[in-house]
Amino acid sequence: MEPCLENVKAIRRSKEEKKLLRKQIKASHTLLKHEGISTVSKPTKDYIISLQSLVVANGGLGNGVSREQLQVVLGEGGDVETLIMHPHKPYALVTYRTEVSAQRGHVLLNGRQLQCGDQVVTLYLSYVDTVDSESGVCAVLPPGLVLVEEFVSLEEEALLLDAIDWKSHDEEVTVQKALKHRRVKHYGYEFRYDNNNVDKDKPLPGGLPQACVFVLERCVRDRHVKVMPDQLTVNQYQAGQGIPPHVDTHSAFEEPILSLSLGAKTVMDFRHPDGRSVAVVLPGRSLLVMKGESRYLWTHGITPRKFDVVPACDPESPVAVTSDFSNHSNLTLSRRGTRTSLTFRNVRRTPCDCAHPSACDSQQAPPSPPSLPRSQTDACRLEAEYVHSVYEEIAGHFSSTRHSPWPRVCHFLSSLEPGSIVADVGCGNGKYLGVNPEVFAMGCDRSCALVQICSERGFQAFVSDALSVPLRSDICDACISIAVIHHLSTQERRQAAVEELVRLLRPGGRALIYVWALEQEYNKQRSKYLKETREQAPPDDHNQETRDSPVKLSVHTNRTAFNSQDLLVPWHLKDGGIKKGGRVSKMTKDPPIDTKSPVLAPCPVFHRFYHVFQQGELEELCARITGVMVQCSYHDQGNWCVILEKTRDR
Amino acid sequence: MKLLTHNMLTSHVKGVTKGYPLLIKATEVKVSEEEFNPNFVSRMIPKLEWSALVQAADGLGHLQDLPTELIADYEANEDFLRKVHRVLLEVEVLEGCLQCPESGREFPITRGVPNMLLNEEEA
Repeated sequence: MEPCLENVKAIRRSKEEKKLLRKQIKASHTLLKHEGISTVSKPTKDYIISLQSLVVANGGLGNGVSREQLQVVLGEGGDVETLIMHPHKPYALVTYRTEVSAQRGHVLLNGRQLQCGDQVVTLYLSYVDTVDSESGVCAVLPPGLVLVEEFVSLEEEALLLDAIDWKSHDEEVTVQKALKHRRVKHYGYEFRYDNNNVDKDKPLPGGLPQACVFVLERCVRDRHVKVMPDQLTVNQYQAGQGIPPHVDTHSAFEEPILSLSLGAKTVMDFRHPDGRSVAVVLPGRSLLVMKGESRYLWTHGITPRKFDVVPACDPESPVAVTSDFSNHSNLTLSRRGTRTSLTFRNVRRTPCDCAHPSACDSQQAPPSPPSLPRSQTDACRLEAEYVHSVYEEIAGHFSSTRHSPWPRVCHFLSSLEPGSIVADVGCGNGKYLGVNPEVFAMGCDRSCALVQICSERGFQAFVSDALSVPLRSDICDACISIAVIHHLSTQERRQAAVEELVRLLRPGGRALIYVWALEQEYNKQRSKYLKETREQAPPDDHNQETRDSPVKLSVHTNRTAFNSQDLLVPWHLKDGGIKKGGRVSKMTKDPPIDTKSPVLAPCPVFHRFYHVFQQGELEELCARITGVMVQCSYHDQGNWCVILEKTRDR
Repeated sequence: MKLLTHNMLTSHVKGVTKGYPLLIKATEVKVSEEEFNPNFVSRMIPKLEWSALVQAADGLGHLQDLPTELIADYEANEDFLRKVHRVLLEVEVLEGCLQCPESGREFPITRGVPNMLLNEEEA
């Protein structure tokens, strides 16, 4: 095979060039990850088909770059044949008329900065290799969805906005919370975010505001609904706020669901379980009527954003924003303003009998709560559902909360000999992989999404299970396993994980293991996890195993002491952290700081399995393994920790 | 996946005894400049399986003038260390797969990340 020498010239690059190259590579990786666009920085016959097409990373409508502006800039390279700018996307695709123009464009514009409103955007250009065809974005509204524009007049809109009393909220909501979450207020019946349902026996005093009656009468008159709605939820969204995708609980409300948009326009995303998605522009003063599939099956949500891409001129019919090329010349950016939605619903009194049982809580049996596994297969299944798939869903949000490496782990890594080989088993987002640049660190994790994050950060990492790490035996000078083994659901599996770490170590090598401690308070010091505590959860005996029945796993209350060793710990996924079409176990409110706080925006909750370790348990486990010695053990911020050494003669 | 990482990886399919080295089938390879640290390279060398490194580099067409046998006194030989540095740290497989030499099982590499997960039957 002929080596490709052109690409391997040892060119001395200046610092500036190196920095640009790094950023370009990063941009390329992001494009590949999110868009399926694969690029190369230099065209060669081996790699690409067209020498005229470039992708302009950061030059997209989704970044605030307008077509007019980009067209002018790209024109510096030569004649532009086509310029494609998909709505919402953070890139553009340009095809120049000649290869020479493409080359010139690349040279002149790579790294160019553009002023777009109040932001500066840096363009990175690469030759396009392949572009994955987009999975169907259809131009048609979801079945059952109707948008009625100008449902209320400007004066009526002002009256309605005036009538909503946010005052009682302002006293209780701190400025910080108001900025982070949209504001919510209920009338008629309280919608409860802990069980996603309405307290049907406890109507709220006052009913629906008098000011809204004319809206309801108009809805009945225009035959959008047969019976006057008896529940109202008011949501106020500032720019940058949204609501995660969800289906309104079937058993709580009938159809249709009516939503009146006041103030600024926004874009609402509808998603079908099979992956199809439609983005619908909701202008101010419009009424959205959700019936049938659009109410019962498709999820709807608003991505937290500051800009939307909308048609430039007012359309005659409701517009679904599409990726159809013929539309792209009519698009413009719209900065979001404050939007208030009034969602009117009819409380359902009988179980739901819709045609969409897969999304229906009346027709689906609730899943049985999991129990402690009594076989390898059960253990694998439990971990698949309550560990692996959860981390895949929450990876982005999880990674954003894991940024500060723990000092004592850093100390372990920094005190290793330069040139050591280190494996981080269960590396998560790679937090520890860069701590000591003098060693060669490899990370592995069960979550593809988390490993991709490591790779994007420039670390060496691969996807694998902690019980079977595909590295040669005796190859590692050191291993770390931080907050990993407590996710294994049987004692045998936890021990097997430690044995695997030991296998990787060379004789004399050391492993550092951290696991969550049952005892969160140690030496009179409360761990950080507990410090934001509220009242203690009452003791329960859910975990008493009887002779025949398996031990049910109880759900832990975050930031309280653990009252059993095997449990499910909730993770509240924040706005914007959800993967496209993400599966959600349920919607619930944020854990409140005090009982008086108002209902905050709902967010999905995932449950993760943990076996928290008792004092001495980790050492006992290590003592069962031959050929190792516990060098030291300690308690660190709510974790039990050991340093193990693989003895030289085994 | 850099070739240094590849040198450490092995097939862990149940029952396989000769799972090393994994064969590389690359569809996209990237070469990028990395800062040369002679001490680091020097320390890696004793931990490598040299023939596996040569085989991997050759298979990708990036062997160039790397010696097929490890030379003596490499610590002081900057020229040699630079060649090793290039092969270990500057050549990356972005897309392709790793194949178990005994069972033939293929592990995909996507965006530089090998997915080494086994099915329940293979573990």
